[in-house]
Amino acid sequence: MDWILTIIEQGLIYGLLALGVYITYKILDFPDLTVDGSFPLGAAVAAILIKGGMNPYLTLPLSFLAGAIAGVFTGLIHVKLKVRDLLSGIIMMTALYTINMLIAGTNNLPIFANDNIFKNPWLEKLFGGEIPSWSKVLIILIIALLAKLLLDFFLKTQAGYLLRAVGDNDTLVTTLAKDKGNVKIIGLAIANGLVALSGCVFCQEQKVFEISSGTGALVLGLASVIIGTSLLKGFSFIRATTAVLIGSIIYKACVAVAISFFDPVYMKLITAVLFLVVLVFSMERKKKVKRNA
Amino acid sequence: MRKRMLAGIMGIVMMASLAGCGSSTGSSSGEGSTAAAGEETYTIGISQFAEHGSLDNCREGFIEGLKEAGIEEGKNLVIEEKNADADMGTAAQISQSFVTDDVDLICAIATPAAQSAYTAAMDADIPVIYTAVTNPIAAELATEDKKPVGEVTGTSDELPVEAQLKMIREILPDAKTIGILYTTSEANSVYTIEEYEEMAGDYGFTIEKAGINTSSDISLAAEDLLGKVDCLTNLTDNTVVASLATILDMANEKNIPVFGSEIEQVKIGCLAAEGIDYINLGKQTGAMAAKVLKGEAKASELDYESITENSLYVNQKVAENLNITVPDTMTERAVEIFDEISAE
Repeated sequence: MDWILTIIEQGLIYGLLALGVYITYKILDFPDLTVDGSFPLGAAVAAILIKGGMNPYLTLPLSFLAGAIAGVFTGLIHVKLKVRDLLSGIIMMTALYTINMLIAGTNNLPIFANDNIFKNPWLEKLFGGEIPSWSKVLIILIIALLAKLLLDFFLKTQAGYLLRAVGDNDTLVTTLAKDKGNVKIIGLAIANGLVALSGCVFCQEQKVFEISSGTGALVLGLASVIIGTSLLKGFSFIRATTAVLIGSIIYKACVAVAISFFDPVYMKLITAVLFLVVLVFSMERKKKVKRNA
Repeated sequence: MRKRMLAGIMGIVMMASLAGCGSSTGSSSGEGSTAAAGEETYTIGISQFAEHGSLDNCREGFIEGLKEAGIEEGKNLVIEEKNADADMGTAAQISQSFVTDDVDLICAIATPAAQSAYTAAMDADIPVIYTAVTNPIAAELATEDKKPVGEVTGTSDELPVEAQLKMIREILPDAKTIGILYTTSEANSVYTIEEYEEMAGDYGFTIEKAGINTSSDISLAAEDLLGKVDCLTNLTDNTVVASLATILDMANEKNIPVFGSEIEQVKIGCLAAEGIDYINLGKQTGAMAAKVLKGEAKASELDYESITENSLYVNQKVAENLNITVPDTMTERAVEIFDEISAE
């Protein structure tokens, strides 16, 4: 049972990241590499603020804000300076490496001794002493669901419709007399805000900021988005955002299976094979390959 | 058909997860008693952060150290070995899988693995024994006076910086500048460089450092650094050590000696090293783990240890190629002298 709880915990934490990647990759059609930098950015902001004695719950919106600012910069580089989308992300990701190091002041900042969103005097009071172990998964679930619902709500507003229109057919946005550049910037801001939020929760769950924690974040997010959306395409009652969260949990389950049952040397290979099996299962593969070729 | 099956599987996963939320309070309270009941056979989890020569040696030494204390794999020991391939997320999952399996002890190799293991094991009361953590104090695994912060202790692989500086001075009496290549993301390297900068002046050296982010930066950084220094010295920096062959090639072209930090580096072409033997470090860690497993001491009662003696390694073939004579006093006290450069 604990095994499954762990998968859900990790899956939902990275699910926040996957929601961000969903916005850029699926909605905006923008391959955003900023993610590899904004994930540790959220972690760095959280770690340094917590070290400074800030209420851990306040680090959640502040990390989101930091990530959003990073997203805005990627957007400005792309829209205003007319740099290609992929390259804008790479530029921002590279810059963020140093920025993260400067924010945290070091490449590895532990926060073992400090309060975090899973362990603090307020929670202790709430549960009357001992904090039960299931509270962790519950807190992560609340954060993930809240992020998902807010995102769902946003996508239904006028700004949200414009966001989706930019990805599908950007001339439409222009005919509506709206600036598609601004819409893209807003999308990137929200996406990277979510990614940084994911990094913030991960940092507090691990009780340490580690500069290398963002490596491969985009790949992980993309895998989750593709698994989730293609696997659950047939279920029209499941929203894409929910599908993405489930995709992230399935991805983490693949990793957990690879960790538990196979020799460590084969871990990545097994993860890849499981990933492939899930995709083939969903029968969406052929269409995907053609469209994105 | 397939879709329906899939829906079924998904349903089961979801149900199981919901059930998990409700029942975990019951199971967690019973964990402590089962852990103590392992009288004869011990189960330990080894979480290694990355695939790497020194870290592999740590692991081998650790298992040997346990064996010397009478805890042997196949007899009264079950080992679960996992490797995170340098990924923090995977390290977290590995640590938590050990806690779920309720192992008797977690051995964590390298700083991120140790931090992740401690995070996961903290609430489950499973002791963590780490090794190859250069600075346990900065990693918040120990307090200023070397006392553990919880059920977590182990060994540090702090380099004997002073001995290394002394050795370089003996071999190169006229050298002024020492170059160091390091990865900015590796906590161990950053810490060791600070040590070097602090002590270099005492031996009449200045330190010239070049930081890299990934192994693709190495050629550029090494080229730049080699133009400014009299010799290079290596840390145990994972990325740099992995590309040591490239660095040695470039340095040899310019006739600049490269000093190592452990035996393996001297074997493949560094001139000399005052280093630590990772197998021995692992053994020392294994001995600590054995104490904890047998109940002779709690992890929280054991201060973290560093290796007390450093050993000198010299490669005479490299010295010959560079036209350098290593003083006899040094070759006499060297633990091992190599007469060839192994290709590995």
